[in-house]
Amino acid sequence: MSFRARGLALGALAFLLGSDLLGVGLSGVDLSRMAHAYAQPSPLPPYAGAYQPQGVDEIGLWQMMDEDERAIAQSPLVVRDEALNAYVRQVLCDTVGQHRCNSVRIYILQVPVFNATMAPNRTMRVFTGLLLRVRNEAELGAVLAHEFGHFESRHSLNKFKAARSGTDLLAWTAVLGSLAPRYQVARTYQNLQISVLGNLFRFGRDQEREADRLGVAYLNASQLRPQAAAQVWQNLMQEIDASALHRGLKKPRFDTIAFTASHPPEAERAGYLAELADPDGLRRDDGAQRYRATLAPWLGTFLDDQIKLNDFGASEYLIQSLAQEGWTAQLWHYRGELYRMRGNPRDLVNAAQFYGEAVALDAQMADAHRGLGLSLLKTGQPGAGQEALRQYLALKPDAPDARLIGMMIPNQGPGQ
Amino acid sequence: MTLPSLRALVALWLLALACLPLTAQAHKLRESGVSVAVDDSPLTVTPSRDWNRLDGNIGKHTERWTIDGAQLNDVTFYAGIEPGKPLVRERSKKREPLPKFSTATLLVEVPELLETTYRTYKNSGSFKVTTIEPGQFLGREAVHFTYEFVDQDELTRQGEARAAIIAGRLYMISFEAPRLHYFEAVIAQFRKLADSATLP
Repeated sequence: MSFRARGLALGALAFLLGSDLLGVGLSGVDLSRMAHAYAQPSPLPPYAGAYQPQGVDEIGLWQMMDEDERAIAQSPLVVRDEALNAYVRQVLCDTVGQHRCNSVRIYILQVPVFNATMAPNRTMRVFTGLLLRVRNEAELGAVLAHEFGHFESRHSLNKFKAARSGTDLLAWTAVLGSLAPRYQVARTYQNLQISVLGNLFRFGRDQEREADRLGVAYLNASQLRPQAAAQVWQNLMQEIDASALHRGLKKPRFDTIAFTASHPPEAERAGYLAELADPDGLRRDDGAQRYRATLAPWLGTFLDDQIKLNDFGASEYLIQSLAQEGWTAQLWHYRGELYRMRGNPRDLVNAAQFYGEAVALDAQMADAHRGLGLSLLKTGQPGAGQEALRQYLALKPDAPDARLIGMMIPNQGPGQ
Repeated sequence: MTLPSLRALVALWLLALACLPLTAQAHKLRESGVSVAVDDSPLTVTPSRDWNRLDGNIGKHTERWTIDGAQLNDVTFYAGIEPGKPLVRERSKKREPLPKFSTATLLVEVPELLETTYRTYKNSGSFKVTTIEPGQFLGREAVHFTYEFVDQDELTRQGEARAAIIAGRLYMISFEAPRLHYFEAVIAQFRKLADSATLP
């Protein structure tokens, strides 16, 4: 089924299930009017400035978030590169406006999944998996604006109040966990609360739609292209489909991706986000070139994290979509790594070809020579393989595995 | 007493029973100087100090030993992983497949196999192989490697491992401990343990 058809089907389902969201009953309202009512970006709320928590619930919630922030500030997972941090902040400021973004603290976490969260005390967590997946400033801005929308509507507080019984359950889990004979149980409990990754509140779908409408409103008011918001979900759906296809799953699991777990079906949201975007915004810049230039020093690290997740379909999709701007030696190299690590005989032949493309574009790329050498050795071409490994050692004599690789080449001997 | 309330009472009693520490699940002591087979395989080791063998396997042909608890020092034996099998048990073969050891896997690729396994199995966001050196393990040509990773508990751990591929099977022993204090405190004991490993 095409995305459009699926979007319509899911939209109809959401319409049937979610009529209370729109505040009207089903009777006497036709679909086209509904769609129109839907297609209104939220007006931006007046900015509250240095807002302080009100009431016991909110004060308590902020105290918990402050505690989490102390933990995150020391986490080894935080990417502390000044240029990258400044850039992500700039994109947020460009999207939601300078006065709104000033008090936000952004933490970039080296976690290869698509996600971003914002806590009520204005700490925003951006996962590197998100940076790898978006293609330009407008797409990044769309996701950040969505999270900012949750923050500005204070969804976490509402959820927190509603989740009091859930907290009781956690307290009981702690008691039972400490009685349990296996320490593994206790550890599972600890994993329920991941302070640095953020309390992943499962917002309701109504709240997600509200955040979406706010997010697009920020984008409409900015200098960035608001149509990018819909594009993010189109790309993500394609990736999830690709991942499921390669794993032989019939139905993709949208809930396995942190960001989509509580979000309205992607097809539906891609549809309404496109409707909400200001048509005049189509001519605006999306900042793709600036985005690529800033991310370039990090692309290798993020791709490496991604391909080692053992999710062949998603990784292949991401590499292919990055290559739409043209194949580079780096992209060929990581595609080779992806195939070599899966390691079926047919993969090794492909891997050797991809590494070959990489070294043809950049003969100085030591790691591509290594991959090429190993792939050729495994596909029964020891002569060519050893030659490639010799190249690797010549280019990178102090590589961590230099001595072991050296032993694989006759007359080379260890350490030479 | 009515039937539903009796049922509730039995359920509560069973729950309380399940929560009691059961001695049958206790870990086994591995005494100093006594040779033992790992996971009933031909791989035997002779510890030079007392270790605890942890109950519960993380995979076929694996065994975990510790001194102070697996989060503080964790020795894992992989005693003959067959080609086509992952290092540890897969939680879901379809949804969370793990990388497999294969007949084509080279010694130099074993660190990569452990890394990709950890990144999937432990959701380790950052994993770095620091050194890869040729060496000996079980009297055969082997790879010795060291690594560093951050687990879900966000503690930086250091690791050291030795691996050899013998008769098409992967034999490996790894040691992991928090970088702060615990790694240095036990690494010498681990090396002695690894040196004592033999395979007929």
